[in-house]
Amino acid sequence: MDLSVLERVKWLQQQQMVSPDFFEILGSDGREELKRVESYLGNNNDELQSFRHYETIDGCISRTSSFQIEQVKNNEENRVIALQHKRKTEGKTEKIENKKKKKIKTEDETESSMKGKSNMSNSETSSEIQKRDYIHVRARRGEATDRHSLAERARREKLSKKMKCLQDIVPGCNKVTGKAGMLDEIINYVQSLQQQVEFLSMKLSVLNPELEYHINELSTKQFQACFTDLPEAVSKQLMMVDASSFPLQHQESLDYSVINSIQTTTLGSKDQTSSGWEIHSQSLYNNLRTDSVSSFFSLE
Amino acid sequence: MASADKPINTDVPEKDVFALHFLQSLSNLRRQNTFNSPEKTNDRVKKIKKAAYVSMARAAGGTSRLWSRALLRRAAKETNKVVRFSRRKKRVTWLRRRSNRRDPVEEEEKEAERLRNLVPGGGAMETSKLIEETAYYIKCLSMQVKVMQCLVDGLSPK
Repeated sequence: MDLSVLERVKWLQQQQMVSPDFFEILGSDGREELKRVESYLGNNNDELQSFRHYETIDGCISRTSSFQIEQVKNNEENRVIALQHKRKTEGKTEKIENKKKKKIKTEDETESSMKGKSNMSNSETSSEIQKRDYIHVRARRGEATDRHSLAERARREKLSKKMKCLQDIVPGCNKVTGKAGMLDEIINYVQSLQQQVEFLSMKLSVLNPELEYHINELSTKQFQACFTDLPEAVSKQLMMVDASSFPLQHQESLDYSVINSIQTTTLGSKDQTSSGWEIHSQSLYNNLRTDSVSSFFSLE
Repeated sequence: MASADKPINTDVPEKDVFALHFLQSLSNLRRQNTFNSPEKTNDRVKKIKKAAYVSMARAAGGTSRLWSRALLRRAAKETNKVVRFSRRKKRVTWLRRRSNRRDPVEEEEKEAERLRNLVPGGGAMETSKLIEETAYYIKCLSMQVKVMQCLVDGLSPK
């Protein structure tokens, strides 16, 4: 590539189609710009590293530059910015990075007069755009740049992001690193949760008869009302029943407080008809509605 | 357990939704006459367990999640009910199933295999989707476990 640049510069000299801009810019600040380009390219693709051989280019330029340098820096920045804008709009239309690189290469070859300078600024701006543009997958140095491996890498990164989310959910996953260990932990956790469900359902089946009458007769509407309207209200009846055994969280206490109250108040009246039940539970519900939090907490 | 996970959306409904569904299913179970026989506790256990899973699937969003759909379908098969799900995506899942069967060569796929066996409906999902569904499933399962634990605690004699 350096040879080609050299050739191009020489060609330019011979043809004398050089615009004054080119040499103005490269005149005194040429070396600095080349250094800047090099700092960009130092971490980037191998192909563009050939631009390191700027000493030879320097030699060419020093021979030919004979113009006065007026406001070189401004011009330079303008050029760079103009080229950046051009590159940006092109970059956004492409989806894979290697495509972009290939396009840049072909464009370099087909540009006519500003080749030497435009090559370097192209690479610089393209590298800048590659850094700024987060949509594209970045091809790291030394890695394959064909489409499949890029897509594969994107997919893997997506997966690892999701695994990190899972890590937050599953307790105890932070210590283990690596996919294998984490997956093992997750599988163990799911299995343990399922075993817990089974165990608790066994327990429930034992406790079954106590629950039976109450659940049967209470309409679900009332349950719903209890859950949604009463995060804080607990009735005196409930407090009488099993206040000390209630967990402090409101929702749980509501759940079981309702059941417990019904349990204690209706154990003696199993013969009631369903309509009687509903009336009774209705009154209970009204009681629940009117009481306040403080009484509950004072008992605790 | 924030719902601010960008890649995975794990907003699970509140505990009372789970509790409501579970209690509803339990009350339905109670209405069956053969339920309270002192023998056949095994059957009872199985029924309760199934009721727990089905109510969890309903509470977690019905048919909007793949695993809940698979759970409900499984349950419906056993009771010979006719269940209708929106079948728009069935073709895609069928294709996924085909492609997944050929894929246990990679190590990642081997481990995903185990997860697939655990999560209901896992066989038809691609790995990234599987991970999402697992996250949601874990949250729902833990909610369900809490609800059942509280029930048991409330009912157990002191």
